[in-house]
Amino acid sequence: MVKIYNDYKDHADFLTVYVREAHPTDEWQMKSNVKEDVCYAQPKTLEQRVAIANDFVQRQKYPLPFGIDDMNDAADLAYSAWPERLYIIDEHGHIAYAGGMGPFNYDPEEVRGWLAKRYGPVTQTSSTAAPSKP
Amino acid sequence: MSHFWKWTLGSLFGLLVAAFVGLSFMAGSPKDVYGLVRYALPHMHRGKLHAGEDAPDVRLLSLDGSTRFHLRERTGARPLVVIFGSYT
Repeated sequence: MVKIYNDYKDHADFLTVYVREAHPTDEWQMKSNVKEDVCYAQPKTLEQRVAIANDFVQRQKYPLPFGIDDMNDAADLAYSAWPERLYIIDEHGHIAYAGGMGPFNYDPEEVRGWLAKRYGPVTQTSSTAAPSKP
Repeated sequence: MSHFWKWTLGSLFGLLVAAFVGLSFMAGSPKDVYGLVRYALPHMHRGKLHAGEDAPDVRLLSLDGSTRFHLRERTGARPLVVIFGSYT
C-alpha cells in the first residue's frame, strides 16, 4: 500500500486504521511473525494498542496517516475490517470501493485499479521500502 | 444400536476427520486449525457495506494516544483510501 500511497497521494487521501491484532502471541501466533520478531499479545487496553501501532510505524517507517480503533472495536465492526480490509470513500461520503475480506481477498491492486481509472496510471520510480502490512 | 445409526455416526466421524486433515493441510498444521476456528472465524465477517452506500463514521485515536478524530473528518475533499489492518 505504501507504493500506491506514493503514486496517488497527490490525488487521494489515505488513512490506515489499526484494528485488533490478527496473530498475537496469546491467540493464533504465526511462525512468520516469530521469525520477524513481530510478537505482541492481544492488547487489553487502548494504551497497548497505541504502543503497538507506534512500534509498527517506527519499525516499518510507515508514512501513511494513521488512526487507531477503540477498544470496543467500533471501526472493525462497522467495516467488517478484521483482519485486514480496504475501502475507498468518495468525496460525498459514500463507499466507492469495498474490498474483500482479508487475507485471501485483500487486494491492493483493486485499489490501484480504481485510482488509475479515475486519475490515470501513475508509477513513481521511488525506491521507498514498502512494508507488507497493513 | 441399529445398523443405520452405526453407519450414520461412522460416516459423520469420517467426515470430521477428513475435514480436520484437510484444514490442517490448508492452514499449515493442526495448531493452525485450532487457531483458525478458535480465534479467527469469530471475528471474520463477509461485510455488509457495498459501493454507493453511506460510509459509517467512527471515532479513532491518533498515534499520540490522546487526539481523537472522526473518520468523516478525513473525507470530503478527495477520495479517501482506508486501509484496515494490524501489525501481526
